[in-house]
Amino acid sequence: MTQLFDKYAPLQARVDMMMKIGQDALGVKFDDIISATRGRIGNREILLAGTNNYLGLTFDADCVEAAKTAIDNHGTGTTGSRIANGTYTEHVDLEKAISEHLGMPSCIVFSTGYQTNLAAISGLAGDKDVIFMDADAHACIIDGTRLTNASTIRFRHNSPEDLDKRLRRQGEIEGGNALVVIEGMYSMFGDIAPIDEFLDVTHRHGGYLYIDEAHSYGVFGPTGCGIAEAQGVLDKVDFISSTFSKSLASIGGFCASIHPEFEITRKVMRPYMFTASPTPSNVSAALAAVSKIKQGGYLRDNLTSRAEQLHKGLSEMGYDLCAAASPVIAVRRPNEAVAAMEWNWLMENGVYVNLAVPPGTPQSSSLLRISLSAAHSETDINAILSAFQGLKDNQGSMMQAMAAKMQAAE
Amino acid sequence: MSHPSDDEIYNKICELLKPYNPKNHPINRSSGIMSDLEVDSTAVFDIIMGLEDHYDISIPMEMVSDIKTVGELGNAIKELTAEN
Repeated sequence: MTQLFDKYAPLQARVDMMMKIGQDALGVKFDDIISATRGRIGNREILLAGTNNYLGLTFDADCVEAAKTAIDNHGTGTTGSRIANGTYTEHVDLEKAISEHLGMPSCIVFSTGYQTNLAAISGLAGDKDVIFMDADAHACIIDGTRLTNASTIRFRHNSPEDLDKRLRRQGEIEGGNALVVIEGMYSMFGDIAPIDEFLDVTHRHGGYLYIDEAHSYGVFGPTGCGIAEAQGVLDKVDFISSTFSKSLASIGGFCASIHPEFEITRKVMRPYMFTASPTPSNVSAALAAVSKIKQGGYLRDNLTSRAEQLHKGLSEMGYDLCAAASPVIAVRRPNEAVAAMEWNWLMENGVYVNLAVPPGTPQSSSLLRISLSAAHSETDINAILSAFQGLKDNQGSMMQAMAAKMQAAE
Repeated sequence: MSHPSDDEIYNKICELLKPYNPKNHPINRSSGIMSDLEVDSTAVFDIIMGLEDHYDISIPMEMVSDIKTVGELGNAIKELTAEN
């Protein structure tokens, strides 16, 4: 007879392999978070280069003060959903601020970024609609489609031509519509969507375009609205979603629309209706961050400079990088074991990046993924580059150490 | 493309599976695509897109989630090409 957890045996074998090499890269425990770019484990200070803290606002004095004031005024939690416990002034203020920022008449906030896409996609797509989803879409988009009864078709990553072909193949959608879902900047490789081209294809076929700007809101565009603004097409996009847990340095998310009718979905989105609404402090911190984003050209300029510095340095060392310079820089490694070994070496040398492995990565790739922050200095980037140079210089001894650890574990 | 035979579909699936089967697990109609051949979920969808293009059909994700074996994938393609 099989036991409940037997199905995880192959996964457990992968985790065991990782633990033989070093520590669990997916379960790092920090003893302290000191700033937007520094943590501490034991006595070792760690340079944080994998936390998606793109604008470095987690310790911003105005955001911290806004969160503290909200707790003083309205308490630590909402203890329920907005349909049960009502809406706080903080929720209304934030929805209004994002609506104005994006120039869209409707905006709804959610308790997490993950729930944002679950809720909005499941609210928008009905039984007769067809969802067309980029092949590299994030798990929360995939899971959002699973909450619908709509048919879902994948198209090749970042290819408007492939979308066009699949929309043509689908033909007339009887009694329904096409909802095309893409991302602004993709989280693993840091590559950017040609939104202007996707808009053209989608609207030519009578569909609606939904863009998840989780990794790009606050980071791109003259006023930080994201990739659609940077490409000059923001006013034509049907739906934009994003999270508060990256550039907004809080937790939660939003979906905004040029269609005022989007408001009706508040009455049908289960991940909105049946979970507690975001806390006053999280919402207030995000609201303070929105005003920082609007005036945050200097933050974006610094982030761009640091990204170009790191991308250039790693390229010159001969590393295989997955995309052009952006705040996410992914270094492709030959396999999971090598990537895990190198990730451990970087940690031991004071640099935290993300170990990203299949199936969470495109093209079944194993990656050392770096996400940069406007709070990183030129010196910080030099430290990251120095660590990656160290990886190259110490490959031999690293391989020997790994072999010895594997042998000792057997 | 109209009404391919079972064997033609099976051979095409095997051809597309090949790059995702580096351990050279033997493939037959009862092989579990993820369980036996160890093809990860992302790669499964890449194979599906290749089949969609080859046969000019749409294989929706909700249909893919019910397909476990090479044979079941072949049957699904047979049905979808018959509708064309």
